Amino acid sequence: MSNPLDMLAGGFAHVLQGGAAFHALWATLIGIIIGALPGLTATMGVALLTTLTFGMGHETAMLVLVCVYVGAIYGGSRSAILLNIPGTPASAASTLDGFPLAKQGLAGRAMGISTSGSWLGTLFGTAILALFAPSFGEFALRFGSYEMFWVAMFGIVIAGSLSGGDPLKGYIAGFLGLFVATIGQETNHAYARFAFGNPDLAGGLGLLPVLVGVFGVAEVLSSMRGPSVQAVASKIDSVVPRIGDVLRYWKTILRSGAIGTFIGAMPGLGEDIAAWTSYAAAKRASKESQKFGKGSIEGLMSAETGESACVPGAIIPVLTLAVPGSAPAAVLMAAMMIHGLNPGPMLAITAPEFIYQIVAMLIVADMVKLFYGLVLVRPLLWILLIPRERLMPIVFVLCTVGAFAITSRLFDIWVMLGAGLVGFVLRELRFPMAPLVLGIVLGDLLDKNLLRGLVLSGGDIAPFFTRPISAGLCALTALAALWSIPGVAGRLRGLIGRGASPVLGGWTPGKE
Amino acid sequence: MSEASSPFAGEKAPASPRADLITAAVFLAFGLGIVALSLRMPSFVEQSGTGLTAPGIVPGFHGSMIALLAILLGFRAIRRGGWRAAAPAGTHSADLGRLALAAALGTAYAGFLVGRLPFWLASALFVFAFTACFEWHLSAGRRLRRLLEAAAIGLATGLAVALVFERIFLVRLP
Repeated sequence: MSNPLDMLAGGFAHVLQGGAAFHALWATLIGIIIGALPGLTATMGVALLTTLTFGMGHETAMLVLVCVYVGAIYGGSRSAILLNIPGTPASAASTLDGFPLAKQGLAGRAMGISTSGSWLGTLFGTAILALFAPSFGEFALRFGSYEMFWVAMFGIVIAGSLSGGDPLKGYIAGFLGLFVATIGQETNHAYARFAFGNPDLAGGLGLLPVLVGVFGVAEVLSSMRGPSVQAVASKIDSVVPRIGDVLRYWKTILRSGAIGTFIGAMPGLGEDIAAWTSYAAAKRASKESQKFGKGSIEGLMSAETGESACVPGAIIPVLTLAVPGSAPAAVLMAAMMIHGLNPGPMLAITAPEFIYQIVAMLIVADMVKLFYGLVLVRPLLWILLIPRERLMPIVFVLCTVGAFAITSRLFDIWVMLGAGLVGFVLRELRFPMAPLVLGIVLGDLLDKNLLRGLVLSGGDIAPFFTRPISAGLCALTALAALWSIPGVAGRLRGLIGRGASPVLGGWTPGKE
Repeated sequence: MSEASSPFAGEKAPASPRADLITAAVFLAFGLGIVALSLRMPSFVEQSGTGLTAPGIVPGFHGSMIALLAILLGFRAIRRGGWRAAAPAGTHSADLGRLALAAALGTAYAGFLVGRLPFWLASALFVFAFTACFEWHLSAGRRLRRLLEAAAIGLATGLAVALVFERIFLVRLP
């Protein structure tokens, strides 16, 4: 079974047994609906659905969550096109050309472009995952404590630099997340840090309650504060994707797929940045750049392909390094751990077939997404019109269930409330949430590996800087940190040359 | 992003320098508090021999980084005029009212009702109260109908959540 093709076939056989098709159908549908409804994000969707998977086997649970993730990222484009409001942050770039197309009476065609772009994007990213994740996983086996410490640091720095526009606030959010992860008993001496004698705090703050709070409760509060969503255009032309659109913009699709997958594989960046970067790169390369923002098919195609290619991209570091590439991937990783899977370098040895099972799940989810893209237009339009006053309390109830269900502690509901209120305030103060989440997820990894590394070296910090891979990761981290300083970034770009950063599409971190 | 619109500005303006300055002060105090608490943690030198596994090392590092970054945020805010008297806040009072109402109802539900009442009943009451409160200001003529609809949605939510989670997905509810 060591042949990759055999393992892929095995992955499909494994995933498609039992009621897999049924689970894929309902989970992708829920994902699309969650993504389409403004105020409900993919992260929230994966977090809430994790609760439902507790009683399932891990294969079914992962299939459900992958389908929700893939569906939600795609679903966000529906409201972006029809309402001019991105259903998830990932679809913000799709509003620029999707809504103008809808206003021109081409809402159906826009949705067809979105469907074909998104479908091809996920397929492209999945192919990259299948090709590179196993070999990268084997390479990651060389990582020791020193290297894993730098992987965690690199994740925080790159997420802080790029995910929110203000690197300083991104770093603070990242370290805040790392701090939150230190609350409770540590592993070396079972000392309860920051517990103040409280047994609940000694058990630590659960990842899921915090995530449900930050992405669920905070979203509910944000939604209720703003103005109501207005009704949409109800005349829709044909939503069947046109082969001509795909053939005409094949270069854009390939470029956006590569950018989306690459951005996804970078720790903590996520689908929104993938979409914006793909959009900027497409605009730069396009012969019709003047049409961008006024209903450009190429613009919409690039954004949709980029954000959807990011999904498999974000799963690559989850499987190989136990470092999530995006906020929904962080929740997916937490769900893997809850279900007894052990993502990270050891996966290449303990369960190499799991990587191919994930590939099969992504392809199944992508196919189901395509099916819904063709048939699910009218019902979704109707769902989009549910008033937030009636939807949000139901979401809040689901958040409460999600926070409680994992350990059945009322304390977790308080954690959810607290995290929601703090998350809301931080958002209002323009702190990005992705580094915070990444910090919480990576906190344990950083904590254990820093202390383990120091113990192994007898207190000498030199191995953190002198081992070859460690030194490379340290240099990358330093470069990412320097890049976020506006004056330094300009000089670095000058040194590296103009052609060296096409992936970032001319976007300067820290410059809004 | 020079060519496309800024990916991060969105519809929201950046926080004011004044708000950043206050935030920086809060985070500075928070970071220093973490460092102080970390220093008070035992070092377990007698067990480890070196003290390198002291539980305060990692949170102390995080706390000092938060404090350091807060100082940088504070300096930046001052450079951008954070010391000057705050301009009148542009937030609409209606927005704040809706926000406070949502937060109060959520806290009352998750913090007090859940665990004291059966979950389906607590959820039904919450959904009803939330919908009724936020739809109260809409046309008075159809208020009774809306209240009845809110009650039906609340009851349906409470029962459906209890049924789906407890019976179908075997998840324990509060």
